[in-house]
Amino acid sequence: MNRVWLALTSAVFLLLLAVSPWAIAMRAFGGKGVLVTLWGTVDLYGRAKALPDVSWLGYFTAFWVALALVAAVAAFLPEARTRARIYFALGLAGVAVFALEAYLFYHAVWAVNDAALAEGARRPPLKRYSLSLGAYASFLYSLFLLAVGRLQLPGGRALLVRWRGVIVPAVSMLLAMVAGAVVVWILKDVKMPEGSGTLAYLAAKLDLVTYTFQLLFGPLLTASGWFQSLLIATPLIFTGLAVAFGFQAGLFNIGAPGQLTIGAIMTMLVGVHLANAHWFAGLPDGVARAIFLPLSILAAAAGGALWGAIPGWLKARFGAHEVINTIMMNYIAASVFLFMIASNEYTFFGKWTLHMPFKFPGYEARSYEVAESARIPLMVNLFGFQQDASGAWTGALSWALPLALVAMVVVYALTARLELGKRLLAALGAGVLGYFVGGFLPGVPMALSPKLASVRLNGAFVIAAFAVAFYNYYMWRTRDGYELRAVGLAPKAAEYGGVSIAKKTILAMAISGALAGLAATHYVLGGGIDEYRLKQSLPTNVGFDGIAVALLGQNTPIGVFLSALLFGVLLTGGLQLDLQLGISRELVMMLQALIVLFIAAGGFLPRYFTDPILAAQAEEGVQGVI
Amino acid sequence: MSLESLLTAAFLVPLLQTTLRSTTTLLLTALGGMFSERSGVVNIALEGMIIFGALTAAVSAQLMEAPYLAENPGARIWWIPWVAVLLAMVVGAFIGWIHAVVSIKYKADQIISGTAINLLAAGLPSLVLAYFYDNTTASKELVNRLPEWLGFSPLVYLAFALVPITWYVMFKTPWGLRLRSVGEHPEAADTMGINVFRTRYTAVILSGVLAGLAGAFLSIGVLNQFVRNMSAGQGFIALAALIFGKWHPIGVLGATLLFGFAKALAIQLGGGDIMPPTVIEAFPFVITMLVLAGFVGTSRPPKAIGKPYEK
Repeated sequence: MNRVWLALTSAVFLLLLAVSPWAIAMRAFGGKGVLVTLWGTVDLYGRAKALPDVSWLGYFTAFWVALALVAAVAAFLPEARTRARIYFALGLAGVAVFALEAYLFYHAVWAVNDAALAEGARRPPLKRYSLSLGAYASFLYSLFLLAVGRLQLPGGRALLVRWRGVIVPAVSMLLAMVAGAVVVWILKDVKMPEGSGTLAYLAAKLDLVTYTFQLLFGPLLTASGWFQSLLIATPLIFTGLAVAFGFQAGLFNIGAPGQLTIGAIMTMLVGVHLANAHWFAGLPDGVARAIFLPLSILAAAAGGALWGAIPGWLKARFGAHEVINTIMMNYIAASVFLFMIASNEYTFFGKWTLHMPFKFPGYEARSYEVAESARIPLMVNLFGFQQDASGAWTGALSWALPLALVAMVVVYALTARLELGKRLLAALGAGVLGYFVGGFLPGVPMALSPKLASVRLNGAFVIAAFAVAFYNYYMWRTRDGYELRAVGLAPKAAEYGGVSIAKKTILAMAISGALAGLAATHYVLGGGIDEYRLKQSLPTNVGFDGIAVALLGQNTPIGVFLSALLFGVLLTGGLQLDLQLGISRELVMMLQALIVLFIAAGGFLPRYFTDPILAAQAEEGVQGVI
Repeated sequence: MSLESLLTAAFLVPLLQTTLRSTTTLLLTALGGMFSERSGVVNIALEGMIIFGALTAAVSAQLMEAPYLAENPGARIWWIPWVAVLLAMVVGAFIGWIHAVVSIKYKADQIISGTAINLLAAGLPSLVLAYFYDNTTASKELVNRLPEWLGFSPLVYLAFALVPITWYVMFKTPWGLRLRSVGEHPEAADTMGINVFRTRYTAVILSGVLAGLAGAFLSIGVLNQFVRNMSAGQGFIALAALIFGKWHPIGVLGATLLFGFAKALAIQLGGGDIMPPTVIEAFPFVITMLVLAGFVGTSRPPKAIGKPYEK
């Protein structure tokens, strides 16, 4: 089996190396590129003048073919340790050669650009150049050889099984990407220049697929891309935590969209109508802020909790399955939402008229603006920057937030002897202290780039970070969390141990709903939908995205955070995908769905990865499991 | 519009017609779901299967009629809608097969697998529509939709005819007995020589076929195009009707008629000043929840439902 996989991977690698573009010398807006392949250049752009000198590529090709051949032959060596050594050496050599290739390619490109600029060109002729599928494949193949080397040594397979929490999602993600590539391949045509052959067509298609994923992961390369990704990730963290919380208690909460909606309505009621009420008009700004900001945030959580608790109660009391009820509650919430903000006047039975004060006058269905005192500040404000009259963002990078964070971590680490509750309190106190001390320190003066400052990443991200910490603390450090997990893993055993399943079901659904409801703070209080209002464009679908986030993150706090960030990156990149290639952003939604499907199927990996008992035996090295 | 006007023929006749039409989608889907659930596989993917069926029928019919319309705008070709319906059933079967592979062979959590298919149905249609029509929300309107016999689409008659047929198949044939035994006690069925896996595969694929049929009814029977999210939760309501109807064809008929009536009432009252439309739209969903809370206590699901079978 081992040898078959090795041979198959090597063959695929060599095939990719031969057919796919190795690098892109330049790319015009709209995705048309000049592809550098091992057998020549394919100019889809049509007007390329200067090209980088990659005449050395042939030698490296010989190296990769030799590498694959040695790897194939080494599989037949009898001694496991020798095999391992050879694969480690091959893998390391591959990584090193890949780095050398990358270095040479970029220098060849820069040489062309420098020469053109020296000759008086206004702009460098080569733009958006990058390595491409062929080069990436050789890097991945080297990593694969390293992994094969580790697998030859004793306990290699058990090690793989021990890392199943990472491997199952990673493999599922990879498979989803392959499926996404197939869809792009089928649905998106490439325009070929006259008289180009099949090989060029294949290279162009492979380039299209590669470029699709380069665009999707592109935000990772820029600071504003990271900011934008964090912005999109913020609500996903909340809904991902909500779904994960339900999973831990053995409940499937598909109701995050509805809980988010009701949370948004509640926070709108408090943040707009209570905070603007005339009898609070005399309050000083600081006091009003101290009252209404926390109150609005709590209202969002309370709204979500209510909407989650209802199906929880229905399950506990009547045994009605939470999946169908949460779905029904989503549709009902959507109706309530429209009822609140689509119109201010409703007539019943042709006689009675209901007047409501929630819709802002005008054509669009939206609420009034959130009061200043209930708004969550933008991250750039939190870091001490202000927009001046000319629109530029200037100020000094405040030490308040970083110092608060450092103080919290340091105090938490130093108080390991204390009881956990006190430890957390101490850390929190240190954080507050750090915030104020940092606020008084002179900051680092700097100006923000407009692109970075235009991203409306707001304080809701900080709330999301606290929600992750809360989830970690509650689920794994408290008795309630322990009981919840017990109910999720073995309800009958938990009940026998004295846990009330009915109470736990309601509680779990309420907290799960509250987490989903908190996502509304980002949209309404933080201005996540461009304005500080509740609008019809409230993207409730992030509630469903939460399912993919929770599954990809394997219901762990750090996993949920990272997978929310990953989807934030992909969705941010999706904008570019639409812009450059005209491929709809829905591709990311499709990837999400496939990831859920493949993770459900355990990444199509052998049973000893997915079955907890078999996995434990495999880790222990029980004979015959693997 | 006053309350008295609700009791006239001008209101009641269309109400009855709309009831039968909105029941059809639910009935086809729920009867399909019955096969899957009776065999022990939860099928929450019905919603997605409807959407894929609707998409396939509308797009394939439009593509097939395009060359004829180029010669003669308004050309009626009788076989086009039927081939489209067939294709919708094939695609439904394919989606059912995916659900079956993941949940039977790979022993996935069946609800998660179904949710994944529903998520896929929310994303993939936009890509397909963008490919064919440069538009991510709706397909091109078509001419050759399903015919109407005596005021109703043939699929309406088919749906109601399927009630006694499924009853007969489920309770009077050896295959139906095997199907039910697999859903109740797969180990016992296996010992008796019944192939649990094959029975479940067939059942889940069959549910996909019927849900695909329901989707085709929506897109080329009721409307003449595919519109994004056009099933609007009907797959889930069908699932609820299945539970409410105690996994029995006659019960399912009653439950879907109730939900179909609620939906028809919402459609017929919409736009009037009897009730705000937003309130009326929530009506079927509230009824579903009330019904599940009030009556489900007495209905018993197939014993092995939701559990992957380990040989």
